[in-house]
Amino acid sequence: MWHLTLRDVVAHRARFALTLLAVVLAVTFVSGSLLLTDTSDHLLDEQFGTAAAGVDLTVRDAAVFGAAMGVEVDRDPLGPDVVDRVRSVEAVDQVMPVAEGQGLLEVDGEAVVPSGASVLTSWAPEPFGAFAVREGRAPAAAGEVVLDVATATAAGVGVGDTVAVLTDLRTDLEVVGLAGFGDADGLPGATIAMVTLDDAQRMLELGDGVSELRVTAADGASVPDVLAAVRQALGDDYDVATAQDTAAASADAAKEQLGSLGLVLTAMSAAAVLVGGLLIANTFAIVTSQRRRELALLRAAGATSGQVTRAVLGEAVLIGVLGGVLGAALGVLAAGGLRSVMAAFGLPLPEGVTVVSASSVVVSVVLGLVVTVVSAVGAARRAARVAPVEALRASVDLAGGRTSPSRARRALRGVPLALGLAGVAAVVAGAPVMVLVPAAVATVVGLALLGPVLMPSLARLVGAPLLRTGVTGHLARESAARAPRRTTSTAMALALGLALIAFMTVVATSLREGMTGTYRETVTADLVVESARAEMLGGLSTDVAHHVGELPEVAAMSRLRYGHWLDGGQTSALSAIDPATLAEVTDLDMVAGSLDALADGGVVVAASVAEERGLEVGDTVTMTFSYTGDQRLPVVGVLDSVDAQALSTGWFVSLDTYAAHFTEDLDASVFVRAADGVPADEVRAAVEGVLADHPTAAVRDQAAAAEARGATVDQVLGLVTVLLVLTVVIALLGITNTLALSVAERTREIGLLRAVGGTRRQIGAMVRSEAVLVAAIAGALGLALGVGLGAATVTALGRSAPLAIALPAGRLAVVLVVAVVAGLVAGLAPSRRAARMDVLQAIATH
Amino acid sequence: MTLLTTPPSPTDASPGAPAPAALARGLVKVYGRGSTEVRALDGADVTIPAGRLTAVMGPSGSGKSTLMHAMAGLDHVDEGSIRLGDTEVTALSERQRTLLRRERLGFVFQAFNLVPSLTAEENITLPLRLAGRSADRTWLAELVATLGLGDRLTHRPSELSGGQQQRVAVARALVTRPEIVFADEPTGNLDSRHGHALLAFLQRAARELGQTVVMVTHDPTAASFADRVVFLADGRVAGELTDPTVPTVLARMAGLEQPAPRAEV
Ligand SMILES: Nc1ncnc2c1ncn2[C@@H]1O[C@H](COP(=O)(O)OP(=O)(O)OP(=O)(O)O)[C@@H](O)[C@H]1O
Ligand SMILES: [Mg+2]
Repeated sequence: MWHLTLRDVVAHRARFALTLLAVVLAVTFVSGSLLLTDTSDHLLDEQFGTAAAGVDLTVRDAAVFGAAMGVEVDRDPLGPDVVDRVRSVEAVDQVMPVAEGQGLLEVDGEAVVPSGASVLTSWAPEPFGAFAVREGRAPAAAGEVVLDVATATAAGVGVGDTVAVLTDLRTDLEVVGLAGFGDADGLPGATIAMVTLDDAQRMLELGDGVSELRVTAADGASVPDVLAAVRQALGDDYDVATAQDTAAASADAAKEQLGSLGLVLTAMSAAAVLVGGLLIANTFAIVTSQRRRELALLRAAGATSGQVTRAVLGEAVLIGVLGGVLGAALGVLAAGGLRSVMAAFGLPLPEGVTVVSASSVVVSVVLGLVVTVVSAVGAARRAARVAPVEALRASVDLAGGRTSPSRARRALRGVPLALGLAGVAAVVAGAPVMVLVPAAVATVVGLALLGPVLMPSLARLVGAPLLRTGVTGHLARESAARAPRRTTSTAMALALGLALIAFMTVVATSLREGMTGTYRETVTADLVVESARAEMLGGLSTDVAHHVGELPEVAAMSRLRYGHWLDGGQTSALSAIDPATLAEVTDLDMVAGSLDALADGGVVVAASVAEERGLEVGDTVTMTFSYTGDQRLPVVGVLDSVDAQALSTGWFVSLDTYAAHFTEDLDASVFVRAADGVPADEVRAAVEGVLADHPTAAVRDQAAAAEARGATVDQVLGLVTVLLVLTVVIALLGITNTLALSVAERTREIGLLRAVGGTRRQIGAMVRSEAVLVAAIAGALGLALGVGLGAATVTALGRSAPLAIALPAGRLAVVLVVAVVAGLVAGLAPSRRAARMDVLQAIATH
Repeated sequence: MTLLTTPPSPTDASPGAPAPAALARGLVKVYGRGSTEVRALDGADVTIPAGRLTAVMGPSGSGKSTLMHAMAGLDHVDEGSIRLGDTEVTALSERQRTLLRRERLGFVFQAFNLVPSLTAEENITLPLRLAGRSADRTWLAELVATLGLGDRLTHRPSELSGGQQQRVAVARALVTRPEIVFADEPTGNLDSRHGHALLAFLQRAARELGQTVVMVTHDPTAASFADRVVFLADGRVAGELTDPTVPTVLARMAGLEQPAPRAEV
């Protein structure tokens, strides 16, 4: 049968190409995501590996955990005695102390704000540092700085220029050199300023302390031996590790930051595969039904049904492998494209060539094969059921298998949908939100199963307006209604993509509304100062609060900062507040206990946390801090959940408690209440005035600060939507594909229409109308599905957090309109083909 | 059966010899090139009298379908002129030819005459609906009644017999009161009883309504329903027969089917 398969493929290149396209697109997306993950992992490993290349050991202050949520913890500086103690270890060759911290670069009075970190570090010559001078020289005296080439190029700075670096101090520095990081010009999304150790210590206010020691082993000493010896010399208070381990840990932290991205990409890939699978199944179904007569002839000529099945599956294998290979190859381009998309949404990945790993290629190819073959199984089984006698019938029912299912089977087909809807209802009524996942799957499967039964009515309903456009609209509507299986799977593919977009839009908007709403209700401050950058822990120097607090225009000021801790091994976050002043700038409701009690070193939990954990005032909880390890803190109060959400976490300690357990010293928000009688803009001007040296500190009024809560949600929604649009594009190609096949199938009908006076324009309009109709059906289904599931999710989440359903009608309408317009575009190619069809050939086709 | 409606008036109503509904002169249609060249029409001169049923006969491959397609504006010719009333068909644009077919011509094909997703009635009124015009209800009712389709109007083609399908096609061809109805082997797929009924109808349409009909056929019995038969051979007119009968047609056909000297390569 193989030669038959091959001959068939060659004979029907066009439809083969369309099927192939569906496979290629789905695989490309997956392959692109995999390669992107490979690449970023590889580049991060390489980046940190390069930094550690010439060093054997690193010594830092001990920490219970080194990083949380992708953020490396701050550690106490090491005193000069530590350097001496390490130097005195026999197996140690050299020790390079390094002072490192944050320092915002300012060029010509303008802050250079990278998407990532603004690094200030002491210059570490090779082999201790990976930066090598490319131009000029290393910093040798106070007031000299070397910048990374990438930053210098972007900011238009050269050797001899003067720049400023802002720590808590402002320091003017002369650029004496430009350095590259290994082969790269710099680090992704970061600015690097390198000064002498003395300067770094002064600017970072470390005294004579340093952040880290980089150690090389003496000739002949093995790294493990040196490690052991240094550990012994320093004891448990210090973290001594091989440079490789330190680099790997840093790389892991950086990867964790991108981890959620990987999750998003995986989810999108799954969606793309699902949509692609539907499309492939659809194409095979149409192609097989168009081949019914040919298959019947084969059967009549003695082919067994097994041979027919194998012929169809053989074609699937061929297409699957070819599509997998092409998709994997195109994935390299897609990875680049995805990277640009990420960068556009402020998530830059390290620069470097896309890494093509064998495993990703294999996974992509196998995926292409499996998806194609699985999707073709249905068509193969239908093909096997073609009776030889069909070859003898004068007319073959080209739509194939249009037999309406029996009542019982129809009822059976309704089961998944009923189960799915029941699941959704259960979640709304109180079942856990995770029930929605199987419920959503069942609903989608149910719709796909029932589609062919419901589609005729649905298509006629949605297509009713088409009747106004005359006979062409009528024909388009009938064409969609009379091939229900085809219409269903084409529309379902698009509906899935649209449903995901609608779902994300509803959930994200509700979240954003929830966040801004609670913030607006809880925070009563007139002004909020916060970092304009997206640091996870906030990034305001303590100076900000200090300066602001001294202003006569300010009646009250309160600080909020965040920290990571381990909750039984799980990373969690807490908020640190000043119980004495917080009430001046917020409106908080305590469910039990009091905020003031925090002053004695306890913890206040959100009501939702208290409920979940069964905590009451008087209980004790164990919290693990990086700096101080396990600590038992008494619960001294329970805060209303809405208020807690406005302050971002479910756990609250006082600033003093924070200072005792954290090395970090950055504020996230500084809340300001204006003095009575001082106009808003005057306070604002005053606050902005004292913050001149803090260019990243944004001064916002309460409303703007509330809106800023939603910025991250908007960013994620934007990114996810862009990725989902790719799924929609695949689905739209499905419309093109299906219509092209349908036009081929209706050649004689089109010829007849042309013969009796249908103009080319009318034929084109007919096909385009069908495309628009399918897209509109998909839009209706997708929006219903997405909004329904989104609303159910929000309802379920709203039980444990203050959240209400927000329906962004405008955005959803845009989704619908875009879908319909895109459907029109998808129909252009097949409509042109139909319009250009040669009348005589169409009539002559049998 | 009564067909009371006035026949479409011939363009030139000189008594006795009405002006022809269509005139084809020196038609040449060549398919392929070089060794594969086929001259489907090779200087055909055909006159289609108005208000008559004209049959076109000839051996397979003689160019009957090509001639019909050319005259109906479905296809281009390489040389020659085709006049339909006052219109020179060969000079029309693609769009004009489409409108010509819609407004002034009717078609009945051998098979696949109907759009499967439309009901019988919708199929009948298809040319009108394509033109955005509404049907003349009396005329439609008359056609439907005459063709015996009254109880089949809401059926889809798949629910109709072959004979019924062809009658629907005939109704569609007549619904616009076209100048000419072209039929390419309209009875090819029908048994003789249904075939004869259809032919009788076409004959009456010509005689009682003055409807011009051109019918391509292989079947001498079908040709005997015509007022006149035009014989084609090798893309040229090889004779005519007025008031044909089965034996006369058979005799002519026998003569034509002798291998033509020109056909030998
Ligand atoms: N599209 C085409 N390409 C090449 N040759 C063609 C094409 N259409 C027709 N021909 C050739 O032109 C000649 C006339 O064909 P036509 O279909 O007009 O014959 P016909 O008289 O209708 O025959 P039949 O009685 O079999 O229907 C034939 O030799 C045919 O092979
Ligand atoms: Mg023919």
